[in-house]
Amino acid sequence: MRTVALLGAGVSGLLGFATVASADEAEHGLGVANYPWPHAGILSSYDHASIRRGHQVYQQVCASCHSMSLISYRDLVGVAYTEDETKAMAAEIEVVDGPNDEGEMFTRPGKLSDRFPQPYANEQAARFANGGAYPPDLSLITKARHNGQNYVFALLTGYRDPPAGVMIREGLHYNPYFPGGAIAMPKMLIDGAVEYEDGTPATEAQMGKDVVTFLSWAAEPEMEERKLMGFKWIFVLSLALLQAAYYRRLRWSVLKSRRLVLDVVN
Amino acid sequence: MPSNTVSISKLLWFKNVRADEEPVDQKKYLEEGCKPKCVKQLRAYEACVKRIEGDESGHKHCTGQYFDYWACIDKCVSSLP
Repeated sequence: MRTVALLGAGVSGLLGFATVASADEAEHGLGVANYPWPHAGILSSYDHASIRRGHQVYQQVCASCHSMSLISYRDLVGVAYTEDETKAMAAEIEVVDGPNDEGEMFTRPGKLSDRFPQPYANEQAARFANGGAYPPDLSLITKARHNGQNYVFALLTGYRDPPAGVMIREGLHYNPYFPGGAIAMPKMLIDGAVEYEDGTPATEAQMGKDVVTFLSWAAEPEMEERKLMGFKWIFVLSLALLQAAYYRRLRWSVLKSRRLVLDVVN
Repeated sequence: MPSNTVSISKLLWFKNVRADEEPVDQKKYLEEGCKPKCVKQLRAYEACVKRIEGDESGHKHCTGQYFDYWACIDKCVSSLP
């Protein structure tokens, strides 16, 4: 009697999954293609001109909603801008500092040591300004999402009309790559939205590529040094492996080539 | 001449665009070019759209065929040099 009840419960439980499975595809988001990033090879460095352009895109398009609270202005020196350029850029923002000798907080122009400015005071303010959705901090975003670089590029350049039969509510936008398909962020990368300093035509795909390169650098600034170190040490350790293998076999040859004789004792 | 991105990137075909022309978005251009490769999925999607035409329940949708089509296009676009 109990087994029949259990079996019934199991079957109805499995049937419950039938409707969930049909929504599965949109839930996971459309699979992302792997693009040929210039910095993807085993000994490839970042395209620093692209990092510079990407920072420009971030500043002009994304920074009004997305913070990058782990990056300081000094991180950009030698990577995308000269020290003087970075100092000038930092000086354009106002930073709250203090307290001073009178115990008051005061504002001053930014310095190299300051972090990138936050668009909102806290998460609640960010949610309130964006219809309940929190624009995530982008400092580590390419590491914080599966297949991050390709995912972010696909997401930014993938805003399309929804498929037939799919209704997106007012305030959300359709993006097939976003899990669930309905994202709060509208399409931000539009041809010509940014005028690049170096004169590169700012198409959607170009801005997407540059901003993702910038975000990749922000998440993994150590990448170039890491690759060089990795290559050097893997090479050195392979030689050490060969030496160790030879030495082991040399020492063990004595035992491996011995002969044992079993004799009968009277 | 502005120094453009690394040559391996698919975004370096600007030499084909005249200075007075409005640059075309590279990804859209490649997606257009990939359409003939994915005709089967496109037809399947269009057939689905026709099938669910006039559906009142709101439960019918063509996400599956839409995903198949765009997965095909994405694969084609990312494999082009």
